[in-house]
Amino acid sequence: MGKKKGFLTTEFYLAVFLAAILLFMAVAAREFYSINNLMSLLNSFSYILISAIGMNLIILTSNIDVSAGALISVVCLSIAALGKQGIPFAGLMAAAMVIGAVLSTLNGLFITRLKIPAIVATLATTQIFQGVLPLTVDGSIYDLPASFTWLAFDAKIFGIVPASVLICLIVTVAALLFVKYSRFARKLYAIGNNSNGARLSGIRVDRTVVWTYTIAGALFGISAVIIATAGQRVTTTMGSGLEMTFIAAVVLGGTNTAGGSGKILGTVIGAFILAMIAPAINYLGISPDWSDAVKGAIILISVVVGAAKYIKKKRVIDDPAARERSAA
Amino acid sequence: MKKRNLLQKMVVGTLAGAMLAVSFTGCSKTESGGASKTESAASAAPETGSSTSEAKPAASSGDITVAMLPKFKGENYFDACKTGAQEAADELGITLLYDGPSQDQATNQKQVDILEGWIAQGVNVIIVSPNDPTAIAPTLQKAQGAGIKVVTFDADAQADSRDMFVNQISADAAAKGLLDAAAQDLKAKGYGDDKTANIALVSGSGTDANQTAWENAIDELLATDEYKFMIIQNKETDVYYPGTDETKVNSECATLIGRLGEGEDKIQAAIALSSMSTPALGAQYQSASSKPDANVISMTGLATPNALKTYIKDEENPLTSGVLWNCMDLGYLAVQTAYQLANGTITPDAASIDAGRLGTKEITNQECVLGDALIFDASNVDEFNY
Amino acid sequence: MKEKFKFTFNLALLVIWAVLFAGIAVKAPGFLSYNYIVNVMLRNIVEIGMVALPMTLIIITGGIDLSVGNTMVLAAMLGGMAAAKASDIAGVLVTLLTGAVCGLLNGVLIAKAKISAMVTTLASMFLYLGMARGVSHGDSVYSYTFSEYMGTMSFLGIPLQIWLYVLLALCFTVLLKKTAFGRKLYSIGLNPHATKYAGVNTEKILVIIYVLCGMICALVAFIFLGRFTSVKYDAGTNFNLKVITVVVLGGTSINGGIGDMKGTIIGTLIIATLNSGLTVLNIPIDVQTIVQGAVLIIALISYAVVNNRARKKRIIKVEAPDALS
Repeated sequence: MGKKKGFLTTEFYLAVFLAAILLFMAVAAREFYSINNLMSLLNSFSYILISAIGMNLIILTSNIDVSAGALISVVCLSIAALGKQGIPFAGLMAAAMVIGAVLSTLNGLFITRLKIPAIVATLATTQIFQGVLPLTVDGSIYDLPASFTWLAFDAKIFGIVPASVLICLIVTVAALLFVKYSRFARKLYAIGNNSNGARLSGIRVDRTVVWTYTIAGALFGISAVIIATAGQRVTTTMGSGLEMTFIAAVVLGGTNTAGGSGKILGTVIGAFILAMIAPAINYLGISPDWSDAVKGAIILISVVVGAAKYIKKKRVIDDPAARERSAA
Repeated sequence: MKKRNLLQKMVVGTLAGAMLAVSFTGCSKTESGGASKTESAASAAPETGSSTSEAKPAASSGDITVAMLPKFKGENYFDACKTGAQEAADELGITLLYDGPSQDQATNQKQVDILEGWIAQGVNVIIVSPNDPTAIAPTLQKAQGAGIKVVTFDADAQADSRDMFVNQISADAAAKGLLDAAAQDLKAKGYGDDKTANIALVSGSGTDANQTAWENAIDELLATDEYKFMIIQNKETDVYYPGTDETKVNSECATLIGRLGEGEDKIQAAIALSSMSTPALGAQYQSASSKPDANVISMTGLATPNALKTYIKDEENPLTSGVLWNCMDLGYLAVQTAYQLANGTITPDAASIDAGRLGTKEITNQECVLGDALIFDASNVDEFNY
Repeated sequence: MKEKFKFTFNLALLVIWAVLFAGIAVKAPGFLSYNYIVNVMLRNIVEIGMVALPMTLIIITGGIDLSVGNTMVLAAMLGGMAAAKASDIAGVLVTLLTGAVCGLLNGVLIAKAKISAMVTTLASMFLYLGMARGVSHGDSVYSYTFSEYMGTMSFLGIPLQIWLYVLLALCFTVLLKKTAFGRKLYSIGLNPHATKYAGVNTEKILVIIYVLCGMICALVAFIFLGRFTSVKYDAGTNFNLKVITVVVLGGTSINGGIGDMKGTIIGTLIIATLNSGLTVLNIPIDVQTIVQGAVLIIALISYAVVNNRARKKRIIKVEAPDALS
């Protein structure tokens, strides 16, 4: 329980840090708070967060998914093909979630059935996802109909807030409740902390992990819809590289990649910080060339701060690196 | 437990078989999940269906193999070039190989890797649009050393590493086309010598030879009287280099849209220099929550008409015109040049080329220019099909 | 017994390699020329192969380094800029120093601050990428005399970097197999706590191997810059995953404690053959990616099968003798 308290403070620090940046932006670059910028920031925050929640669940079980970006590319292209036929938004969303879930379940099966470590298994599937895409479509799918871009162009709440934010809100609230109250989520923590122990206490570890991947896949699918429908053209590399951003959001939020600890709330703040770095830098008049460096520095600093607290608390006995190994 | 092992072995066996099948039958179109549904969309692109990998070097006229390397695959612009190239190849009865890096890996290394394979195979001509003009030079020189003719198209490489450059447009003409398109629109919206307009550029990767040349030409033109009411306030922040990754281009364009509007600290005109960022500008304007007033801002840029159609036809979108040249003709001309260089009809020093359906094109200084910029707007955008 | 199984796995890899090599050679006669094999196939893989060597050490200790590609690019870039501003010597020093500092940062955070290797190197990956982008403003940095020499010179008809690779591969094989240092790495990978209590300075060893990895990245930076004559900030993208693919393909367990250098070297050869061979066969780049992914999966599965059986044998030896067959 003492540990739980420690992680609460991680989120607290993060929130303070975020508030400090927001305040700083208010003083240094008022323009940052223009409606348009805020809304486009919220839009990218939405798709980062939705996927990051999925990634968070996976990381809780002490696994990882580096194929998320490639998977999103596959889903984007698939729904673009459907959207070309004029299938309405609801159909696209359903299709995206199903395709995402199926592909991600494959990852889960690979990992559990064949006992391949998650990072390597998803590394391999990344290459397959990436390779399949350009084969099935020659170039990009473009000139997509208005029904396809409905989410980005027309769906605005009160005429201002993009609907993607609403989707994100629903997913986030659901995830918070889910992690807090469901027995399934408790199993995730158990598996992440000690998968052998969890197995011996009657949890079907493999099955739970596969389901986690399935859920995460559906969430990746939702993100893919937001990303794909941003314009009238969908290319084969829409999601490439995003997986690292998702993982970074989770890590920044204080979740240990060794699994077993971490909260969705932290991920929410982490995703928000990552989403605002690029526009904030642009509004501050700094060349966007520095945005990646700032991103890296922020993650590194927050992780070091987190680790420093951790070391003070628990010397010797339990270091995360060791736990990672025993859990894997 | 024993059963499990057997199962695992079977999986291994099947996968091994599958892999061998993939690697040795060449590329039989892999069907997978929802992706196969993209078939219909693929056919919407003007594509004849003769995938390059299926085209085995066959005995054809003079057995000439031309290998074409775009900056990256999977975007309207180069697709259109490929269509034109294929047309020329069919006409001349030669083999055309076409391969390139994927969009998110449009780097010099990837291009060099592909080139080295072609050099080893001994193709006759290489047509390339380099991502980095200087960095690719040693590899192209190596190809020339192996007796392969080298033609650059779309973007040039170092002059001593290619035999001919098929240029779509001179840098001055491109810059003038872009600025004209923007100026026309801005003037119609009340800007002029007594009311200056801040402009922002969305470039590509930063090392691209064309975009660098166009940027410089734009800078020069902005200094002249005719265009001096358009100003780039801060080169650090007002010239964007989002690269070639679609998602990144979208997000940087969204940031830019947020800065559009009226006033000294806002930006009044956005000009996109890559065929990816122009449609992104249109899309991001469309999805912006509080749209900047279209009556005070202007957007234009380079892109294929197909990619801009919807935005141009939408009267509320400030993206009213696009600038381009005929991409299909560019691919066609490149293959014609390559073929004639290979069979000796022309030499690099030739003064002109008889390029099939395009008629005679002049060559100066080993550079063959296709033509002038083409500005399209709502009145004629439907006439194009690429 | 364990020895025997490892032997079979390496042998299986060798067979896969031989089959691929022969298959491609039959399909594409252009492949089987001395010039292509040495100057294209082997020369192109050297960068990945070289970084795979220290990466094997890191993975054996149960760690990972995702920042290798970006360390390499940052080192090449700062070196190139120093060489352009001052002299070649400055360029060389700056490159090596950058590599060492990048590795040191990773090593200290992982060993001393006890942050998991994946998180640390993920963050430093962004940091190094961003710094490379920031200092270069997205422009290319060009090669200088020394790096050109490293990237393009030949010695006795074989490119210099291949000689270097062979030398390094030998050193690393000996280091891992024949020295106490190498055995300590396995020990850390299998059980870091036990190793620590056995009196091994695990922290020092971890820092050493990450710095070593950074230094090798710096060395590779010369070759890379020389071979491509220029480098851009995003040149290291996916490099980390390629290196890890090679190491894992070679049978090193990502969980640590298991693996050897021979496997990594054969893994390097397989990827080299695939990369260059498929290009010669005119198979589009996309299919090549699929094939690489498939080969990795096959290797993983066959390894899982072999490993599973080996483990079962050790654990359930008494009750279940039938698992042997």
